[in-house]
Amino acid sequence: MPTLTQSNIGGPPPTIPDLPPGGGGGDDRGRNDRHNQRNASITGILVLMCASIMTFAALVSAMMVRRGLNNDWHKLPLPQILYWNTGILVLSSIALDVARRQLKRNKRQLFNWLWTAGTLMGAWFLVGQIIAWEQLASRGFFLQGNPSSAFFYVLTWAHAAHVVGALFAVSYVEFRALRFELGLNRRTWVDVSALFWHFLDVLWLGIMGLFVYWA
Amino acid sequence: MANPFSTDHRVIAKQYFALSLTSVIAGVLLSLLMRYHLVYPQSQVKWFEALWPISAQGGIMTPELYLSLLTLHGTLMVFFVLTLAPLNAFGNLVLPHQLGASRMAFPRLNMLSFWIALLSFLLLIASFVSLGGGPLSGWTAYPPLSAVGAIAGPGEGRGQTLWFFSIAAFSLSSTLTAINFIATVIDCRAPGLRLMQMPLTCWNWFVAAILSLLSFPVLLAAGLLILLDRLAGTSFFVPAGLQIADQQILHSGGSPLLWQHLFWFFGHPEVYIAILPAMGVVSVILSRDREGVIFGYRAMVASTIAIAFLGLLVWGHHMFISGLNPYSAIAFSFLTMSIAIPAAVKTLTWIATAWMQKPEFTTATLFALGFVSIFVTGGLSGLFLAQPQLDAYFHDTYFVVAHFHLIMGIAALFGIFAGTFHWFPLMFGRTLNEPLGKLHFYLTFVFAYATFLPMHFAGFAGNPRRYADFTTFDFLAPLLPLQKWITHSAFTLAAVQLIFLWNLVHTLVTQPKRSAVVMERY
Repeated sequence: MPTLTQSNIGGPPPTIPDLPPGGGGGDDRGRNDRHNQRNASITGILVLMCASIMTFAALVSAMMVRRGLNNDWHKLPLPQILYWNTGILVLSSIALDVARRQLKRNKRQLFNWLWTAGTLMGAWFLVGQIIAWEQLASRGFFLQGNPSSAFFYVLTWAHAAHVVGALFAVSYVEFRALRFELGLNRRTWVDVSALFWHFLDVLWLGIMGLFVYWA
Repeated sequence: MANPFSTDHRVIAKQYFALSLTSVIAGVLLSLLMRYHLVYPQSQVKWFEALWPISAQGGIMTPELYLSLLTLHGTLMVFFVLTLAPLNAFGNLVLPHQLGASRMAFPRLNMLSFWIALLSFLLLIASFVSLGGGPLSGWTAYPPLSAVGAIAGPGEGRGQTLWFFSIAAFSLSSTLTAINFIATVIDCRAPGLRLMQMPLTCWNWFVAAILSLLSFPVLLAAGLLILLDRLAGTSFFVPAGLQIADQQILHSGGSPLLWQHLFWFFGHPEVYIAILPAMGVVSVILSRDREGVIFGYRAMVASTIAIAFLGLLVWGHHMFISGLNPYSAIAFSFLTMSIAIPAAVKTLTWIATAWMQKPEFTTATLFALGFVSIFVTGGLSGLFLAQPQLDAYFHDTYFVVAHFHLIMGIAALFGIFAGTFHWFPLMFGRTLNEPLGKLHFYLTFVFAYATFLPMHFAGFAGNPRRYADFTTFDFLAPLLPLQKWITHSAFTLAAVQLIFLWNLVHTLVTQPKRSAVVMERY
């Protein structure tokens, strides 16, 4: 490894004399070791959250501007089931996090049970959302109607799209967990998907708060 | 032939490079058609009719066809050339090596980003060959006309819908690329390489990726809302009581201004996403001959961050004439003009670096110095446009066309050319021909100025932009000779690029590939 000296600060960094393969797995030659990849995955998911926050910030700011434009905004009567959905999502988040901590203590059996519970509750949340949309539609609140219902659909659909993606990740962990492929040293996917799930949880609480107290 | 689904960052870099090269060739050809039509609108061109039997009957372009060419030109150049080449192509090629990493943080995500970008490109092409013609709304796609469907004109139906899908896909691809770049810079640096020891190229890609991350998701959100307006009958951007072509539009209460805010919140940082990587390339090339010592390294990093930060706060200067509150116009104006400070720091630092280094005048160095020249010229006209009073006059004139083509188009292209000459050995194991490269540089430099400098004068004289024909207006008659000059110069500028293409193809075909590339210089 070439060393860095004061004179080459700001200049080209130490380079690799022979070009190693530049992609795929298993060809890392120790540079991007597992530790590095774990850090990169966690950074990646945090950065992805920033991107999601920007998307939702754009939608919410559009909603605020739209509400201030005219006097045609009607408060949306929220279906009761949304509160149940909120509870289930929070519970699933707790289950996944407790599971994550159990894996850290190498209690793999307990991890599997808790993670399965969290995953099922996540799926249940999604079903609950579909029921909520149907209830709203049966009461005559459509996408084309009042801007409050239009924004409700847009925000909850965008959130649901995120949940579908996160469910794939959580289910992938579930699949590997049931085959006992995860453990103390193999838990990056667990941590990353749990982190994203908590993010969706907080995001949902924000959306609910917005519609309960403001819109 | 490499695997097209390769996860090797160097292969992906070449894929992006090829996509950008295809786009830039198409974009230039479109601009030539437009320039020709602008000054010779009545001349009958047989193959126009062969290409567009409906919208160029008798070989004469309709104004709608002109606008659709304008839209495709702008979209190709801004997204597929100025975003993909400097950031995605060169970044993928060089970033891991300069960081001492063997690959990007997420190779498979990298591959996926490219394929989504290609899908976006295909959707864009589809929008132009779909029935009804290409969209007419320009690359900014302002509603309400872009949101109400085919009633707003041919091409505003299916073509415009496909265009929005293309832009949504591009936003997704760029966001994923940004995640990859940021994670690579943060976590994949060689042990001991601190952020403040990275080459300036890495800093500029890093900051450009952060800008991408903050701005493309907003475009994605805006794109989804406008697609709902078009396809599901919502009214986010369409106002109430709108009548188009004697028909009442059944939307209520939306705001076209809302689109402008969301679009320009993306659109202004996009300018810096295009130009920051070019700045990094210029810094590295100007300093390469003396072990990469850069005058004012810390100032360069700080000014990069300052430009990006301010760039996020100035979107309103695109909307001075849209009915913005005068107080907010003052704030946007002040912030915009303050970008001149970090920009001046950069310019002076480049000059000082070049002065200290006394670089060998290779083609790459010449393009880097040319970049500094164009950056100053294009930047100075920005100070005019940053003032609401002056912008009220200039906004819809050729002054703006001159400004953004110089600062965003030509400056970034000079950065791309500099990077291509500098990193060609790294990309293909061959070196481009230097005498041909220098000839290409000098002619490009002269004809870029010859094309875009006179546009300032046309703008001063009040020549409107986006018009498809200048010959039918009496007040534009005195400017026609100037516009003809611009057209002839543009054709020459395009012809000069054949030297570059010849250099590229000739080098690839005739030069043997060197087995090992000396990395130290890159």
